[in-house]
Amino acid sequence: MVFVFYPIVDTIYMSFLEKGTGEFVGLDNYAEVVSRKEFLDTKRLANFFGGPSYGALIHNLLWIVIHLPLVVFFGLLLAVFLRDVKGSAIIKTTIFLGIVIPLIVGGVVLRFILDKDAGILNGILRAVGFGASVRDWTVYPDTALITVILGSVWIWTGFSMIVYSAGLQGIPVDLYEAAKIDGASRWRTFWRITVPMLKPATIVVVTMTLLWELKIFDIVFVATQGGPGDASKVLAYIMYIDAFQGNDFGTAAAIAVILTIMTFGFAAYLVSRMAKS
Amino acid sequence: MKRNKGVSQTAWMAIVAVLIIIIAVMGVAWYLTMPAPEEEKPTLTVFSLWSEGEEANFLQCLGNFTEETGINVTHYHYTTEDLLIGVPMQLRAESSVADVIIAPWPAWILELASEGHLLEATNLITATKYPTSYINAVKDANNKIWASPFKASGKPGFWYKTSFFTDNGLSVPTTYAAFKTLLANITAISGIEEAVASGDTVGWPLSDTTEAFIMGLGGYQLQEDLITGPSARNWTDTEVRNVFGNLTELLAADYFSAPAEWTSQITKFWDEKYGIYFMGSWMTTMSQIGDVTDLDFFPFPGTDGVGGSVDYLIIPKYAPHPDEAKELFQWLSGADAQEIMVGLGGFFGTHADVPATAYTTLDKKVLDFISQPTIHIVSDLDDAVGGKFQTTFWAQLRLLWVSPTTTTMNDVLDALEEQALAQQT
Repeated sequence: MVFVFYPIVDTIYMSFLEKGTGEFVGLDNYAEVVSRKEFLDTKRLANFFGGPSYGALIHNLLWIVIHLPLVVFFGLLLAVFLRDVKGSAIIKTTIFLGIVIPLIVGGVVLRFILDKDAGILNGILRAVGFGASVRDWTVYPDTALITVILGSVWIWTGFSMIVYSAGLQGIPVDLYEAAKIDGASRWRTFWRITVPMLKPATIVVVTMTLLWELKIFDIVFVATQGGPGDASKVLAYIMYIDAFQGNDFGTAAAIAVILTIMTFGFAAYLVSRMAKS
Repeated sequence: MKRNKGVSQTAWMAIVAVLIIIIAVMGVAWYLTMPAPEEEKPTLTVFSLWSEGEEANFLQCLGNFTEETGINVTHYHYTTEDLLIGVPMQLRAESSVADVIIAPWPAWILELASEGHLLEATNLITATKYPTSYINAVKDANNKIWASPFKASGKPGFWYKTSFFTDNGLSVPTTYAAFKTLLANITAISGIEEAVASGDTVGWPLSDTTEAFIMGLGGYQLQEDLITGPSARNWTDTEVRNVFGNLTELLAADYFSAPAEWTSQITKFWDEKYGIYFMGSWMTTMSQIGDVTDLDFFPFPGTDGVGGSVDYLIIPKYAPHPDEAKELFQWLSGADAQEIMVGLGGFFGTHADVPATAYTTLDKKVLDFISQPTIHIVSDLDDAVGGKFQTTFWAQLRLLWVSPTTTTMNDVLDALEEQALAQQT
């Protein structure tokens, strides 16, 4: 109660208070936050293909739209391919390391990978003759957000792979044997047996990944500091800057409440789906 | 035979009692006259932003304090982000690991003071021994001083390798047109990636460079007005747009590198991947500089202002050893400590009694330049404004650096104006 409900109630209460005076200002903090370009840049959003920044809210959604399918896809792919491979435990452990390391370290590693001079990505580009494309990927507004999102896939893929591996263990072998007797191809077996039987695992992966993406902060903080400009800012990052740089706990609390409502909404929907399945 | 009784039993007891009393009295007297055991002196903790060469010099300075007082000091290097954000979090929780903190942000210091987290410094230093502007920056409305200026640094201009300039027939520019020609000439040299190195970490090297343009093309008063805020000057004013227009033009011409970690940029600068690098006077202490005698600087052509930054000492109210912290605070504020520090290079003393002979040759050259009557030393813009404006300024400049178009420039200035207005109200 003390460690969960008190902070929640206090944060909601704080979101209605003015910076400095501590006076009750109703929904002013919410209105101020929502009207910011760093929260939602409608002008840039209308010209979507002009590139970021679209505002932190849209950036969080882009995390979900891009990162989530990739994590699900690669996790499932690895789990299926490694199922019958000898010594796969070692490979799985190596992949799972991404989830074990602190996200701050993950951000530093990502920054190194994308570095112009020392980064492995640029090293590969040089090696295959694309030297002209070499750049500091996190420095430019058109690439900062997308490279951080794509570069973070390896960090979370270990989680989805492990969940799917556990899910695969739970599928009765009889189903595959029956499909084989009926002459079903491997592809058909995969789509008609494996994927449907992994639905509970998929819901777990989607739910956990989505929550992770909504509260994403550490990697952005280390790799791009939300920049350049507002190009890679996410909600948790602007909440942090408001609270600890701007010393404005009212607006920071308002962002926290918005983030919580979004998270709760997504989570409630997915949990209800899980319950039905 | 009759037994000789001699001294009676009672007498023996009396003798023993007297002896016991004498021994007890002597013991008490010895105990009372014994010098009190020396109390073990605490080890103080100091936080600052300095690492590498700067830290080594500071540790040498602290070594002298330990020699003089017997008080050990442990120094911890903090990143800008950690100090700017982590320390206030600690203090707001009414605790402090550090006894003394060194930070270059007067606005940040006054905010902590207004919240009651610092010990007052008014009676710890002789304010008249320091430049008035340095003291005023950390003085509140009640004339209470909350920090002491330990050392100052200037941002005199663009650093270059003299051998590189000589080998390539380059000369120091004295006009803005000559400066642009120099950038074009450097760019044309084989092996050069870009003419000017751009440092990054959280954005301050970019803001220092921008401030040089503001003062060089708009005058020192423009920077002072921007520090005052929208009541004195808007970021969207024509003069500011002109300055940013010139900067954007040079960025668009690819004369500046993309921002990269500032110390690794010094390595590349010294390896002649870049021709010049705008940096503060601490450049002379950086370990990446192979031979400091081959290093020189030139000011922004025609400038009448130089960005100055002062490293202030503060004592948190919750310092674990406040008495010893005050002792260290006063020692570092004094001329003797500052003389040691400036002798190690890269900085200027703030105390009036630091002799000119204490400076290294290159530092003396910088000092002579910034001490000219035609040059005004102006506070670092983002340090002086502080708060969320600082991170906005850094983030927006990083955007302008890699996307130097008129549209971006206008967006950047609008964002800065918006934040300046928000902070002023």
